[in-house]
Amino acid sequence: MLSDSDMRNTIKVERAKKDMTQQDLADQVSVSRQTINSIEAGKYVPSTVLALKIARIFGVGLEEIFQLEEGD
Amino acid sequence: MKDKSILIVPLLPFGWKRLAFVFFPLPVLLVIGLAFVYPDFDPNETAQLIYGFWAIGFGILNLTREKEEDEMVKSFRLQAFQTGFYWLIWGVAALMMVNYLRFGRLTSEIFSAYLVLFLLNAYVYAAFQYQKFMASKS
Repeated sequence: MLSDSDMRNTIKVERAKKDMTQQDLADQVSVSRQTINSIEAGKYVPSTVLALKIARIFGVGLEEIFQLEEGD
Repeated sequence: MKDKSILIVPLLPFGWKRLAFVFFPLPVLLVIGLAFVYPDFDPNETAQLIYGFWAIGFGILNLTREKEEDEMVKSFRLQAFQTGFYWLIWGVAALMMVNYLRFGRLTSEIFSAYLVLFLLNAYVYAAFQYQKFMASKS
């Protein structure tokens, strides 16, 4: 479901570090580019499995990429 | 839950969308044809015919997979069915209220399985498309 997420993420930053496009990341985790775009924009909160896959691609811990907004 | 086969909703291949769109103009053409062949054709039957065809059209669209059927699309679909059902309850309640205010009774000839199926499928489709639109908006 779409929502103004209670979670922020640093996917865009991690992508930039690895010089990776949204499509590259989408292909590696088997979702659409639109899904990656929605996650980055905070419109869609990924499942735990997808979040773990994304973290593994970047080689960092889950909490380094996904953080709860203040107050949550 | 994933493995409980009784809960799995099988989706049609993407190509079925083309067939679904045939069901929208088809009843209109059929009604025009029937009007020529049977000039005293009951207008209520006409409405039911259109509701029935459009219900099938929206039903196929709702049960056809997207080009990329990933977890976000699946979550949109789940939400669409929930929202669609919620809108159906209020939509039918509103129709009953209008009927009551106009004719003094809650039920009417227009209430049929065709109408309810059409409304449900149309609402589900609208809720799904709305989510896709919101996700694509920058």
